[in-house]
Amino acid sequence: MPRNDSLEVGELTDTSYYILLSLMEPKHGYLIMKTIEEMTDHTVVVGPASMYTTIKKLLRAELIKLHDKSDKKKVYVTTEKGVQLVKKEIERKRLMIQHGEEILANKGE
Amino acid sequence: MGKEKYVMSSGLAFFEAKEMERLGKFARRGWFLEKFAFSGFVLRKGKPEEVIYSLDYQSEADDEYFSYFEEAGWKHVCTGAGVMHIFSAAPGTTPIYSEQATIKEKYEKESQSMKKVALPAFLIAIMLVVLLFSSENGFLPTVVGDISEYASYATFIVLIFTGMPYLSYQYKLRKLEKRNV
Repeated sequence: MPRNDSLEVGELTDTSYYILLSLMEPKHGYLIMKTIEEMTDHTVVVGPASMYTTIKKLLRAELIKLHDKSDKKKVYVTTEKGVQLVKKEIERKRLMIQHGEEILANKGE
Repeated sequence: MGKEKYVMSSGLAFFEAKEMERLGKFARRGWFLEKFAFSGFVLRKGKPEEVIYSLDYQSEADDEYFSYFEEAGWKHVCTGAGVMHIFSAAPGTTPIYSEQATIKEKYEKESQSMKKVALPAFLIAIMLVVLLFSSENGFLPTVVGDISEYASYATFIVLIFTGMPYLSYQYKLRKLEKRNV
């Protein structure tokens, strides 16, 4: 079965995108979940199993790194590589929205 | 110490969602999942409560893993075979998987680990059957056939217990992929 890993093709899933955004400032697991919930006005909620597997994946791809391990809780932060990928993703999404808006405007809606 | 009882499982690899619902029904009647047992679960009597259960597969479960669940409101109930973890929570708690990509990973990993055993077992089973037939038709001594026959029973048991879950995970993955289009 081919591994459909979106990170390898340089695309971010919604969960990865929001985790990278919330880790622009160092945070531990629970705070990441809370931050994402507040940031998106409760429209995006990350479950603990998805959270754990995505964190591991982002670490492997070096998009986030361990910032601090004191206090038993692991604190992560987005790396420079992660910031660059987020910027690329924002640009990609901006274009997608632009295309959509243009088409809908021409349709007169 | 409350009363205990054993219930048989119809197989988590095949009926995961049904089995989790069934555990929830037991909890409503005051029987709570306590631990895994051979081919089933041990339940313990308590006060009836509305509880939902979820299963996750994770072979590298560490403190961090369990802390994410706890902080999200999921209580770790028990672990089976080192990789199957069942969690319980109040109805309405955020599901443990919020993203399809990560659900797929859950089954991919399990499917791979089953395949590692099922595939060699399948090849060994074929080899043993060939040896058995060769011996029955006089190409090989009878003793080879006898040994092959008993070895094949053991191999078929291993094959069934890994091959069937493997096929079930593959089926789940295919269903997820179709929904993804």
